[in-house]
Amino acid sequence: MQAYKRTDISKDQVVPIAEKMRKAGVGLVMIHGYLNEEGKMDISWDYAVEPVIESYHVVGEDTLPTISGIYDEAAAWPERELNEIYGTVFEGLDMSKRLFLPEEMLETQGKGHIMVTPLEELRAKNIKEG
Amino acid sequence: MSYIVPIGPYHPALEEPIHAKLYTEGEVIKDAEVFVGYNHRGIEKLATERNAIQTLVLVERVCGICSHSHALTYAMCVEQINGIEVPKRGEYIRVITAELERLHSHFLWLGVACHIIGHDSMFMHIWDERELIMDLLEELSGNRVNYAMVTIGGARRDIDDELKAKLLKSLDKLKGPMDRIVEIALNDKTIALRTKGVGVLKKEDAVRIGAIGPHARASGVDVDVRRDSPYCSYGDFKFDVPVQESGDVFARVVIRALECYESIKIIEQALRNLPDTPINLGNKLLKIQKGSAVCRHEAPRGQLTQMVVGNGGFNNHRVSIHVPSYKNTPTIPFMLRGNSVADAGLIIASIDPCFSCLDR
Repeated sequence: MQAYKRTDISKDQVVPIAEKMRKAGVGLVMIHGYLNEEGKMDISWDYAVEPVIESYHVVGEDTLPTISGIYDEAAAWPERELNEIYGTVFEGLDMSKRLFLPEEMLETQGKGHIMVTPLEELRAKNIKEG
Repeated sequence: MSYIVPIGPYHPALEEPIHAKLYTEGEVIKDAEVFVGYNHRGIEKLATERNAIQTLVLVERVCGICSHSHALTYAMCVEQINGIEVPKRGEYIRVITAELERLHSHFLWLGVACHIIGHDSMFMHIWDERELIMDLLEELSGNRVNYAMVTIGGARRDIDDELKAKLLKSLDKLKGPMDRIVEIALNDKTIALRTKGVGVLKKEDAVRIGAIGPHARASGVDVDVRRDSPYCSYGDFKFDVPVQESGDVFARVVIRALECYESIKIIEQALRNLPDTPINLGNKLLKIQKGSAVCRHEAPRGQLTQMVVGNGGFNNHRVSIHVPSYKNTPTIPFMLRGNSVADAGLIIASIDPCFSCLDR
């Protein structure tokens, strides 16, 4: 079984940790995100400190700093994806273009994003739009 | 003269849809951009409305080639959340399927690469041998794709002595043709001329952008989850991780050819030492407990990451799937720069891309 170590951090610690990890040559596995049961965003930066995944969580923030300046596309793509499906804003990241979803699905902040909207609503919308 | 040359989303050299914009100066590519998302099916969203067994079926359909990898990683996540200990025999059967899948995926890519560079007789030789592996997978699981070998808590089908002998015999039979294929791949002038020095990805770029799997190992980055963070009894087997330094398309051919030998080594060890335990813990539908898990698996194309969050009910709260192509696709512009337009198709295909995985 693979080991997984969770640490809760604040928003200000995201960039220093990324810089430290990059310096140590540790790879960024992924930036994961989900809405927890209280409806707050739980975003985690997972680093592969072999053989353990060190996971740093920030809970309940809608605006976060980007680490795409440190990890380049390895961070930029997951950040753009999270912006598309949940509407989380990463400050300093170019989010003008879509990564996966069509341009028409670009809606106002925190509304209408695919992972937030109930499936029934998305289905009805799809049928209406043909 | 400078032109913008669009490639894709539908193009003869691409098996799956991706759009690349090449900014050219004469024949030379100065810069490039890639656009993905032509294959988005909303699988992560659908998974939130499914229970554990249904999700196994769903994630298996993310990708046709590495279907076992997705199901395996999802099962590992749920087992980690619920604290399930998988019987050894089940784990060994999972490993055997995963390695057979790697063999067939690498053979497929080697064939496609030969086809793109115009070496069609080699392509046919390789795909002929690949049929043998497909037959083995069919014998093992009943299917040529979507093997459905994984269930939560073990494997779904057992390997009896007759099948074991057959698998070992067939793998032996595969070694002769494989030696021939590898020899041609390493020494043939046609292949060398079209691949050496083409699409070079420097080691520092590979590390910074986070390339993984055979693609990164061809650029001198020594990463392999099977060795670095063993799971599923991978720690029990002896195998090497080949690494090449040159970072061009030729190195990627060499890496994948050499990895086939390592896969055969692992399958043989697993078959010979198959433990005498049950293969699974029964097929009862379980509730996914509160908690989250992140698991990684070395899929044929590299490290596959999944995160599963449970909320105590039958359905998943969140399933997040990130495939190797997700990490490797951003390296395409770096490889394209400075190469000729004629090589663009080969360079894009050299990461062994899987865009249906990437878009989910």
